[in-house]
Amino acid sequence: MKRFECLKALAAQARDALVVSSAGATTLEWQALRPSDGNFRVRTLGLCSSVALGMALGLPRRKVIALDGDGSLLMNLCSLPTIARMKPANLIHIVFDNQAYEASGCGETATASGTDLVGIALAAGIRKALWANSVESFTQAVSQALEQKELTLIGAKVDTTRTKVPPYPMDEVENKYRFIRHVEKTEQIQILKTSLPASYS
Amino acid sequence: MSVEEAARKILFGLKQAGVNFVASLPDINLAPLLRLVEQNSEVTHVPLCREEEGIGICAGAYLVGKKCALIMQNGGFFNSNNAIVSTLLQYEIPVLLLIYYAGDIGDRTFSTTGGMTEPVLRALRIRYYLMREPDQAPEIIQRAQILAEDSKRPVALLLTKDVLGHRPAVGRF
Repeated sequence: MKRFECLKALAAQARDALVVSSAGATTLEWQALRPSDGNFRVRTLGLCSSVALGMALGLPRRKVIALDGDGSLLMNLCSLPTIARMKPANLIHIVFDNQAYEASGCGETATASGTDLVGIALAAGIRKALWANSVESFTQAVSQALEQKELTLIGAKVDTTRTKVPPYPMDEVENKYRFIRHVEKTEQIQILKTSLPASYS
Repeated sequence: MSVEEAARKILFGLKQAGVNFVASLPDINLAPLLRLVEQNSEVTHVPLCREEEGIGICAGAYLVGKKCALIMQNGGFFNSNNAIVSTLLQYEIPVLLLIYYAGDIGDRTFSTTGGMTEPVLRALRIRYYLMREPDQAPEIIQRAQILAEDSKRPVALLLTKDVLGHRPAVGRF
């Protein structure tokens, strides 16, 4: 299965979901398919699922999608029991498992020798965790997760093929400001406040 | 002052500062405070398995409008350093770090951890304040939150046994 095909299927359905993606090529492919200020790129390997959890808890009525990878999730396995414990019904955790540290030069991850990330998620207490074995079943799983209000983890075994897409169009701080402004606009809330010197008030 | 009273002062300070989202990992000395946080319905509390995930969770919650604090031991602060650097500092995200100061002067354990705590904070250019007086806690916490927001960086508050009400004012250690 190709990750890009799965992402295409997701982009067709994601609507206004906030999307957090892991360090690596997934972010670039996603940004090319759904360019939006509602995309947030995580730069700390492993932290994607945790950043998405924080967003899902902070905005319980908005769908939040984490685009995670096997290397990233393996580094932060303890996020799974924490997610299971908090059980945010608006969080969809997608794990693209290519069994390799693709961004770091393709050394094999532990999933290449049998570690089952969906099995770990189930054992951690995430009741709805499943493997999607084809682009069709991935599309269906995503559509169901977007409709229902239930924490869902979807694993997809993909190959290490990268699709040629442009580089990420902004740095981290710009990503932060754009993302926050997007949340402010779409949720009609104020997050950033600028303080004025005392003489102005 | 009892540990419960001291914990109430710290929670009061957090609420006055507008903090409404707390992630934590327990230390025995933080237990009364964390019990209060857990019971408080105005604060979302996320109990963690490891401190580094707490940095990600707080960053995510901040991006959608929450004011966040992470309560942990200094050993946990060491655990979370990569995330502090490549998420909080890199993206300029303010989060209060309430760090229990194990190995503080007068402690009989963790002197190595205690000795490294302030040097690591300084190396990361994280501004920090050592808290001893429970009565001053509410004001210091509010000021620290203002500094975090204004500087768009994490600010650390070192919670000693004194500020948590664990150390007798007079008597033997």
